This record gives sequence, C-alpha cells and structure tokens, in this order.
Amino acid sequence: MMMMNGEATEAELFLNCADMSVLERQRAQLNYHHLPGFFSNSSTINGGEIDDGFLASAGLDLPEIYGEVHGDARISVSPGNITNESGNSKKRKFGCVDTETKVFNEKKKMMMMDREVEVEEEEEKSKITEQSTKSIMKMKNKAKKEQNSCSNDSSKVTKDSQRTDYIHVRARRGQATDSHSIAERARREKISERMKFLQDLVPGCEKITGKAGMLDEIINYVQSLQRQVEFLSMKLATVSPRLDFNIDDIFAKEVVSAPMMNLPNTVMPPHMMVNSGYPHDMVNSGYVHFNPMQQVVTSSDPLACFNNGQSATMWDSDVQNLYSSLGV
Amino acid sequence: MDHLLLLSLSLTSLMQPTSSMNEQFLKKWQMGLQIFRPSIDNTSVSERKRAIKLSADVAMASLRKGTTCWSRALIQKAATQDNFLVRQMLSGIKEETLINKKLPKIVCHRKIVRRSKKILMRRKSKSAMEEVAAKAKKLVKRKTQGLRNIVPGGEFMSNNVLLIQETLDYIVSLQTQVNVMRSIVDAADAGVER
Repeated sequence: MMMMNGEATEAELFLNCADMSVLERQRAQLNYHHLPGFFSNSSTINGGEIDDGFLASAGLDLPEIYGEVHGDARISVSPGNITNESGNSKKRKFGCVDTETKVFNEKKKMMMMDREVEVEEEEEKSKITEQSTKSIMKMKNKAKKEQNSCSNDSSKVTKDSQRTDYIHVRARRGQATDSHSIAERARREKISERMKFLQDLVPGCEKITGKAGMLDEIINYVQSLQRQVEFLSMKLATVSPRLDFNIDDIFAKEVVSAPMMNLPNTVMPPHMMVNSGYPHDMVNSGYVHFNPMQQVVTSSDPLACFNNGQSATMWDSDVQNLYSSLGV
Repeated sequence: MDHLLLLSLSLTSLMQPTSSMNEQFLKKWQMGLQIFRPSIDNTSVSERKRAIKLSADVAMASLRKGTTCWSRALIQKAATQDNFLVRQMLSGIKEETLINKKLPKIVCHRKIVRRSKKILMRRKSKSAMEEVAAKAKKLVKRKTQGLRNIVPGGEFMSNNVLLIQETLDYIVSLQTQVNVMRSIVDAADAGVER
C-alpha cells in the first residue's frame, strides 16, 4: 500500500534544503505540546503563527507544489523558513534536547509515542478550526493552496483561497474535515522523518535527495551488509576447523576488552578497523590465543603482546585464565 | 505496538551500533555457537558456514527480544532451517512463542492490480505534470517493494512508516553483526598467519 506521493525530482531537490528546519520545528512543536498549557501560549510565542508543527507539513509538501505550479514560489520559501526559524529557536532547542535524551536501543517509551501521536492528531483537528479565524502572510502557502486544489477537494480549496486575502501557514484548510487526508499527511511526514534518519545511517547519502534515490542506496547498503555477513561467516567456517577449541576463548577475550567498534563509512574496507585503535590489541590477543593451539608456545611472546596493550593487568589475568582453561 | 516502540526509538540521533550492543551480540552468538557445536564439528565447510550464519542471525534477532518485526521474521526463518537448535538457543525466552506465530502476509496480485489500474487510467486524462508525478510514484513503489524483499519480514509490514523504521533497526543490527564478525575473523586471521 503505497502512500507516498510522487514528486518531481527538482521538487525533491528542494525538499532536502527545507527539511531540516521544518522537521526540527515539527519535532519541537510536538515535544513542546506535551507540556500542559503550552498550546494556549503557542500563538504568542510564535508571534502569530499558531501551528508551527504544521509548518513541517507545509515544508514537506512544498516539493509537490514546485513540481506542479511555478518556480517562483521556490525562491520565496527560504526567507520564510529563516524567519520562522529565528522565531522558534527556543522551542526547537528544547525539542532537540528532548529527543537526544532518548537512547536508540535501550529506552522504550511507547507511552510517549502514544501521546505524541494523539497530540498530533488532536492538534491538527483543533488547528483547522482556528485557521478560519487567524491568518498569516506566506507565499508558500498560497502555492500550497493551489496544489491542494489540484490534488484534493478542489472546490472547497479554491473557495477558501478566494475568500481571504491572507495566505495561511497550514494549508490544511482544504483538507480540513477529511480525516483520511490528515492521516495521510501525518504518515507522509513520518516517512520523511524516517528517511532522514536513514540518510544519517547509510554512508554516502548526504547528497542524495528524493525517495527513490534514497531507497536505492538503502537497498544497496542492506544488500552489501548481508553479503558481508555471508562472506565473513564463510571465512569463519574455513578458519574454524583449526581453531575449534579457541572460539570460546576469543569470545571471552573480546567481551572483556570491550571493543568499541564502529562500522567505517566505506562499505568494504578489509582493515579499516585500525581507526578505532582497538583491533590492534585484539589482533594481538587473537594471536596469543591461537599460538597455544598450534602448539608453538613461546612463553615470552604472549606477554610481549600484552605489554603493548593498554591495560597490562587486564591482559595478564586473561592470560592466566586462558592458560588454565587450556590446561584442563 | 512495535510501531510505536520504534517510533520512539528512532527519535534519537544515536544510530550507530554501540559497544554494549557488540558485547551483547557477541555473548549471544557465543552461546549459540556452543549449542551448534555438535553440528559444526566434522562437517563440510558449507554446513559450518550455514550453522555459523544461522547462529549469528538468531543471536542478532534475539537482541531485540521480539519487539521488531524483522527479528521475529528472522527467527521464524531460522526455525524453518533448524527448529530444534534455534529453540535451544532461545531457551525459554518469549521468542520461542514467536516461532509459531503467523502473521498475515500482504500479497498483491500483480495482474489484478495492473488491470484495475489500466481501467482507472482510461478514465483520467493526465497532464504532463501528473504523468511525471505518477511515474515517480511508480518508481518509489517499486523500490519499496524491493526493500520489502530484502528486509526480513518485509512482506508483513503493512505500511511504509513501519517498513522504514524496521529497516533502520535492521541496518543497525546488521552493522553490529558485521563489526563483531569481522573482528573475530581478523583475530583468527592474525593467529593463523603465525
């Protein structure tokens, strides 16, 4: 079920520029809305802009407009974005701090997400009613309205845009009562957000804009990682018959040494691990392990290796363990 | 539920595999290899490779403790290969129950979809802009389908938001897996060269 809208590539090029600010703002908005009573103050803080959270959507939808309407609107957006940013820097910082406290792997804050999703939905519905009373001058929203007239409830939108002289930030008026389009918009925003994260994760994706290109890169990256796993497991399989007894020791060693391994940015670097500084030690330790197994034991060698390492005491105790386990 | 969980998890910018993740994966993999040990010894290289990869995959998936769709699908796939050993490896954690869970697959019968689209196309008259947009949509759709084929359990993810979240988590786990395996191989290589 494909819910992403197709976007012209030139439009998508612009999406990336506008993305950072609008997403951050949206996030800040959403996080801020967890605080009670914030919503009533939002208009004053924003200097008249109510629904900053939906600037995100406005920004995200811009590419669709640009693809379809005219190029002039594109130029006018950036000043608009900048003015918004300066007005909302406080909020955005708060939002950013809030997000950074969550750890990716460890914390599970489902309740927060529940609230966030609810708040998002509620916001959208309530803001729709408020929009009719308040108004803000923005070029992009005029273009957005036109885009809405192309895609959705056309008659309603054109009526609204003709009625008022002002241009609204959130051109959600056209889709006001349509819960489907609200949900669709929320989903599109979420998708773009996730794609941004993926952009950070996948190496070499900074310049690529647009969903199709990003998806290409993601697919390639996942495939390459899977192939690497295959290759490495094959390599281990060929190596292991000689080292059957040692695998446990290697593992114990590596657990103790607390390796801080980070995947380097290039895809297939055979010995890029040198970056972290650890592998050298691990290589030494591995060497030490396999030495006994091959029955070429030179008592001086292991200790020499350990002395090169960082914490000699740790290695020494491990050496003791190793020799004792092998002796058994 | 997983959707929300991943939503929260993905809100941070910390996306790189951490050392604690590496350690956890290592421990689990070590345990798994011990379980697989009887089948590893005295078998061919391809069999060993299969066992190694299987244990590594199950270890990687069990780190998520059944919270993500891809981990469950991966465990299910591993269970089809070697049910008994996988169960042993998971040893009583709730993942065992996940092995038997069946999710509804999302199937798109291409012929039917194509036919209905043709009918729809006939009624609409497209402007140039719309055509471009439609082509872009098709392209993106094709690529998401490609992503679904690659990510384990992709066929079960009903919406694209979930798909991308799962991909995020899957990529991070793959990175830890590759890191740990590569360091082991490097250590083994260094030892062997002597």
